[in-house]
Formats: sequence, structure tokens, C-alpha cells
Amino acid sequence: MIDRREQALTYTLLGVFSLIALVPIAGIVLTALQAPGELATFGAPSGFHPGNFATAWDEGNFSSYLRSSLMVAVAVVAASTLLSIPAGYAFGMMRFRGEQALFYLFLLGLMVPLEATIVPLYYDFRDLALTDTYAALILPQVGVSLAFGTFWMRAFFRSVPRSLVEAARIDGSSAWSTLWRVLLPTARPAVVTMMVLIFMWTWNEFLLALVMVSDEGLRTAPLGLAFFQGRNTTDFALLAAGAVIVATPVVLLYVFLQRHFIRGMLSGAIKG
Amino acid sequence: MSRALAPPGEPRRVAYLYLLPALVVFALFVLAPLAHSMWLSLFEWDGVTPGTWVGLDNYGQVVSDPELRAAFRHSLVLVGFYAVLPVVIGLVLAAAMSRARVRGLALFRTVLFLPQVIALVVVGVMWRMIYAPDGGLLNEGLGAVGVGGQDWLGSFPLALPSVGLIGAWVMYGLAMVLLLAGVQKIPQSLYDAARVDGAGPVREFFTVTLPGLRNEVAVALTLTTIQALRSFDIVYVTTGGGPGDSTSVPAYEVYDRAFRGGDVGTASAIGVYIVALIFVLVFLINRVAEREAAR
Amino acid sequence: MAAVSFQRVSKRFGEVEAVRQLTLDVADGELLVVVGPSGSGKTTALRMLAGLESVGEGEIRIGDRVVNRVAPRERDIAMVFQDYALYPQMRVYDNLAFGLRRRGTPKPRVAERVRRAADMLGLEPLLDRRPRELSGGQQQRVALGRALVRDPQVFLMDEPLSNLDAQLRAQTRGDIKRLQQEVGTTTVYVTHDQVEAMTMGDRIAVMNDGRLEQVGTPEEVYDRPANRFVAGFIGSPAMSFARAGELPGLSPAPPGDVLVGVRPEHARPWADEVGLIGPLEGVVEYAEALGRETFLGVRRDGGPRLVVCVDGRSGAQPGDRVAYGLVPGGLRYFDPQTGDAVETPR
Repeated sequence: MIDRREQALTYTLLGVFSLIALVPIAGIVLTALQAPGELATFGAPSGFHPGNFATAWDEGNFSSYLRSSLMVAVAVVAASTLLSIPAGYAFGMMRFRGEQALFYLFLLGLMVPLEATIVPLYYDFRDLALTDTYAALILPQVGVSLAFGTFWMRAFFRSVPRSLVEAARIDGSSAWSTLWRVLLPTARPAVVTMMVLIFMWTWNEFLLALVMVSDEGLRTAPLGLAFFQGRNTTDFALLAAGAVIVATPVVLLYVFLQRHFIRGMLSGAIKG
Repeated sequence: MSRALAPPGEPRRVAYLYLLPALVVFALFVLAPLAHSMWLSLFEWDGVTPGTWVGLDNYGQVVSDPELRAAFRHSLVLVGFYAVLPVVIGLVLAAAMSRARVRGLALFRTVLFLPQVIALVVVGVMWRMIYAPDGGLLNEGLGAVGVGGQDWLGSFPLALPSVGLIGAWVMYGLAMVLLLAGVQKIPQSLYDAARVDGAGPVREFFTVTLPGLRNEVAVALTLTTIQALRSFDIVYVTTGGGPGDSTSVPAYEVYDRAFRGGDVGTASAIGVYIVALIFVLVFLINRVAEREAAR
Repeated sequence: MAAVSFQRVSKRFGEVEAVRQLTLDVADGELLVVVGPSGSGKTTALRMLAGLESVGEGEIRIGDRVVNRVAPRERDIAMVFQDYALYPQMRVYDNLAFGLRRRGTPKPRVAERVRRAADMLGLEPLLDRRPRELSGGQQQRVALGRALVRDPQVFLMDEPLSNLDAQLRAQTRGDIKRLQQEVGTTTVYVTHDQVEAMTMGDRIAVMNDGRLEQVGTPEEVYDRPANRFVAGFIGSPAMSFARAGELPGLSPAPPGDVLVGVRPEHARPWADEVGLIGPLEGVVEYAEALGRETFLGVRRDGGPRLVVCVDGRSGAQPGDRVAYGLVPGGLRYFDPQTGDAVETPR
């Protein structure tokens, strides 16, 4: 029934592709540990110089970059979550006029990338003298995250058995208290998934920071890394250390919450 | 006939209140800028001095300007690398998986998905070092087996495919995980029936696996295609659009022309084209998927 | 505690008429069972009473109040759902207390009412558990408790026993009936199971295709069905039907070629001198031996099949020929076109 050869083939495929995914990542970690300053070979496990990370952190200013990224990411996650939940609740549980049209509007947002709106966003913020502020980094990303968040929470609320909401209604619960006391406790996994995904996308966002921020104190991690590369094109080790620092927070989050990441990407996508 | 459409006490108008904050922020920072983009695309503007009305000229320019045509051509090539290649890889794996049972699938999934969570800037930095002519992993490895190395990101014919392969690396894990999840949902009974009918593995793939994965393939293609058309971070960090123009992409042109070239109108038009292209491709992908479903 | 009243209530979903001109009164304190097959409109009627569906036409009253436009929370009702709909993240105690807390009931009163309901249903040991830790039967009791605690004017129950296994169902039937009698709250109970209807209802309302076919006590509905549908729906195994022309020797003589209904217990193996109508003959098509009695499906040659009830075990096998007779008082006549019951001439 289950062919031994096919089994081996499957494992081989999985193994090979897993390796291909891992090698560059392992490589950059190894490179980060190489001796700094010289023209190193990428990925060669030669030397153990964890001091590179300290150098990147202080001289490379990555401590400031991470802090900036954290502020922006936390703000975006908080705002998006607080706004998406009621919106998703309205779409998922209430009937009102224009529901379809408004929902399609949000759906549209899923397909409008920042690349298309970055130009007017910049000029608008510039006219308001708000470039080089956290607001310039936070607000557009909240907007984009809301498209996903609303859609995601709506999908969750639609999956709740109607009878639960009806029981609450008969028990005398208002829409608001039903949302917060009855539904949200069960929504925890869905909300965590949403928060984790939005955190990742916000942390990894580059173009917005590139355009909006010129003040070094506001630079987010990916932006900081791009500048760092400009200053250290040949010092692979140091550059690699910086790159690892930038990627680590999200990777750590991923390792601990991988179920949420993967489930989020999978089921959020299977909306059809 | 009672006029009440909804059961009594069911929130109706209050729904708008729940929706309002999200709608306002979304409209202000996504919809309004999109409209504004379309507005800006009708002008020739350098961002400082007053602009001049040019109507649809900028859109025409995108078609007539060979640089911009090249950029869009490149993005379609990237779609091949970012979307088609990963999905094909995913399908190969799904086909193999359908006949086998794998233990430790969760671990494989975690590893395969890892490239997706890494910031694209980091990915770019990473691969730039891998592709480096001196000391890069690729050339060192090729040297070890006696094959000559190349300037992957610096030579005209190789740069775009090299960038494409980076994208493939980022995306194939997503495609794989998606398709693997899909293939596990296909009822074993369909395979049993096909086997009883005498179908071999190739036949099984085309009659059971592929149709069963229709939705997942559509989703995978949609997600990866959007990424391909957006591609900015990787290009900026690895090649900056070069050498020459060989890795220019629409998103990079938007940035370059608006903020370095003082040509905001054209940049906006390119942005609008990107959105339109995404819409069209997503629509087509899902249309084909639906048509196949109806068959 | 108040009466419930449906006055010519109709409801339509798009093209489908779910409820047609329903007129039904529920007396104060009674347990009315609304029974019918799926699609009969019984659930829709209940949901309109609860305020979960809007009323198309007509009026629904609770007590003296017309409640068509009144929100569920204002109607002073409590509902037990088929899937129990317990709040999954709350302990049983909080599930029970939820409704009272939403209405601002002071804490000591909440505690008192919850304890009392828990007492009545044997829920004390479960108060600290979460719904997912409970068995189906326990969840069902919590659902009942949640309704009890509210002390409403009307209990609404939507097939509360459907998700229980047969044995538990039988036991819980009695529990609910006793509970209702003890508390005395008017109850509207919806089910598709006619056994539940017969055993639990003070009165039964039979619905079909959106219409109320008959309402009456279990005895009335069983002995004097208003039409062919009710006759065939109530009673298990179901009543057998045949045309008058296919059954010779009927007495009293049927008025014309009407539809004759015979319950299994009124078709017995032939014995002389017992006053049976017959003998009628036929071939056994199937035999269902249930221990205490056996039901034979007997088909007359080229004619209708009647279900014959035999006490104890019968040796009859499919293919055997048997003779049986009909109990005179057990015949019911129905108009072949309309299905309405026809007065049996005495």
C-alpha cells in the first residue's frame, strides 16, 4: 500500500528543501561569528566572535533601531487589534445596509500594497510636517493591517455558532457585552494569531521607513540594516551580525508561536 | 407586512459605530492615498514646484518608455520565480506526500516556513553575501567542485534570475505548507478508487491530487504573485535595480522616480499600474480556479 | 407566568412560507409540545416567540403584551437550545449567573438563585467546571439551569433532547416534565420526536408544512386525529391506511370510498368470538419482534399493507400467510382528497 520507495522519496524531498531553507540562515549566523573586519567567506564556521553582536548593537546603533521598531510594531499591533475586533464583529454578526459593499472595500485593501500609496502618503505627511515621526510609521501600517484584521476577525465571528450569541441575547446581554464577555474569551487563539502576523509584517516593513524617516534616531531595524550595509559592504561578519539582530525578534516569536503563524497564513488564505 | 427586517433588538444602526473607527483609519491611510495616487498620476510634478496637468500622459509614458516597459517585464519574470516555481515545487511535494505518510511533519513545516518570517531586507543582505563574487557561499561552493564562479548579481544576464531565485527561496516554503495542508484534506477514498481503476502515480496526480488542490493552488499563486509584483526590498538591498536596468522593477521605479528623480506623476502612475496588475492577475487566477471547479 | 398567544402568525423566508396563519394559545402553566417533521415551521414559530426572528404577519402575545417588536431580553423568556449554547470559557456557575448579572441583580440574590437552580438539577458538584469538561447530559442540565435561574414567564425549548443518547433521553424526559410541574412555568417545547410529545405534553400541537394541523391533549390527538397527517404522524409504529374498498366487511359501514386508518394495536391475529371484523388475509412481509409484542407487516393480495400487532412473540415469518381482524372501535375514516377526518357514523 504505502510504497517504501515513495516514503523515502518524500522524506528526501522534505529533507532537501528543508536544508535549502536552513543553509542560508545557518550561514548568516556562522558568518556573524567570524572574525570582524576581514573579507570573510560567507558561512564558513571559522572562529567564534560573539563580540560582533555587541559591536553592531552599540556602534552599529542597532539598539536604537530595535527600540524604534518595537515601538512602532507594538503601537500598530495594539491599534489594529483594538479597531479590528469591533469591525470584524460588526461584519460577522450584525446585519446592516451596505454590509457587502463596505466589506469589499476592506478586501480591496488587502490587494493595495504600500508601494502604490507610498507617494501620496509621503507628500501628505510632509505637508503636515509629520514626516520623521512615529505617526508616519504607525498610521499607514495600521491602515493596511486593518484590512487583514477586519477580514480575519470577521471570519472568526462567522464561525461562532449562532445559538451562542442568541443565548446571550436572550440572557439580556447587549451586543457590546456579548462581544467582550462571551465571544472574546473564545477568540483568544484567533486574536493572538492576528497580533503575531501584524507584528511580523510591521517589524519587517522597509519601504515606508525608507521614505518617511531621515532622522537616524527613528530608524527602524530593517532600515538601519540597509544603512549598515552601506557602511560595511565588505565586513561580512559585522553585517551578518546586524542582520541576525534584526531578524531575531520575529524568528524567536515564530519559534515559540509557530502554530499561530502557520495557521494564520493558511486559514487566512483559504478564504477563497 | 412588518417593516422590521431584522429580529427585534438585533443591532443594526449601531453596527456602523462598531465599524467606524476601523473604517476611518482605513479610509484615511489606504483608500484616500490610493485615490490621491490616481490624482497625482494626472500631473507632472517634481514635488516642490507647482505641478502641471498632463492627463493620462503618464500612463502612456509607462507604455512607451522602454525603461518602464522593462521594469514590468522584469516583474512578470519575477512572478515566474516567486510564484510559479514555488507552486510547482509545492505540487511535486504534494504529489509525493499523497501516497506516503510522514512523521515529524510539524518539524518540517516549521523549518520550511522559516524564510517567510525573515525581513526581506535581511534576506537581501543574506543573499548578497551568498552571491558575492569573492567569498560568497555560491562561488566558494562551485569553486570546491571545480566550477568557475560568476558575478551573480553584477552581470547582465544573471542578475534578474539571481534575484528571482532569492524570491523563490522565500516563497517555496509557503507554497509547500499550503499545498501540504491541502493534500491532507483530500479523502483517501478518492485515491483508493483511482488505484482500483488502475491509475498509476502520474494519473493519480492529474485526476485526484491536482483537482483537489485547486483552491490551495489558487491561494498560493495569489499570495506569491502579489509578493512578486510588490518586490522592492530585495531589489533595493541586492542590486538597486542594476546592473544597468536589468533588475529594475515597478516598485523600485516608483521609489526612484518619486524621491530621487523628481517625477512624482509618473511614479504615481506606475503605482496605479501595480495595483491594476495585481487586481487583474488575482482575478484571473481565481477565475481559472473557479472554472476548473465547475468542470 | 402568563399565557402565550399566536394570532394568525405567518413568516416567509424569500419564496418559502415557513409558517402559515398560525393561531395557537398556550395556557398559563402548561407544557405545550409543538411537534412536526423538519420543515414544519415549529422551530421558526418558537424563534419568533423568542424574538430571534422577526414576525411576518400576525401578532404574538406574552401575557397581555404584544411582543412582535420587543427585543428578546425584554420578553422575560428563557430558552434551552438544541446544542445547549453554554458559554464555553465560563464556569458552570458563571454560565448560570450570566443572565442575572446582565440585569444588574445584586450579588447575594444571584448566588441564591444559582444555588437553588443547581440544587434542583443536581449541579452543585459541577459549578466550578467548564462546559467542555462536562458530559452531554450534564451540559444539558446546565442549559436547563440557565433557564431556571432566570425565573421567566415562559420557557422555550428547542429540541433539547436531540443530542442525547436514547437511554438518557428517556430519563431526561421525565426529569424535565417533573421540573416543569414543580416550577409551574408556562413552557413551549419543540421537538420532532412524537414520543416526547406524547409523554411530556399537557397538550400537543402538531404542525406540518407551516400549518397547525391539530392541537389537543395527547389522548385527543391520538384517539381523534383531525386529519390523515396527524393520524400518521402520532403513534409508533404508524397507523396503516387503506381504501375502504380494499377492506371488506367494515362496520360501521364507511361513508363512501374513504381512507381507512387502523392503528397496529387495532389489527390483531384472527380469533373467533372476539368481535373482530374479518377475517382478513395476507402475506407477512416483515416481522419486528420487540419482546413484549411483535409487529407484522401483512399485505393483502394485491392490496394494502397493514401492520398487525401480536402480543408476545409470533412465529410468523416473512412469506407466511396469516389471518387477522380489525377492532371495530379502532377504525378512523378520512376524506381521500382533503385528508380531514370524517365523522365515523355510530
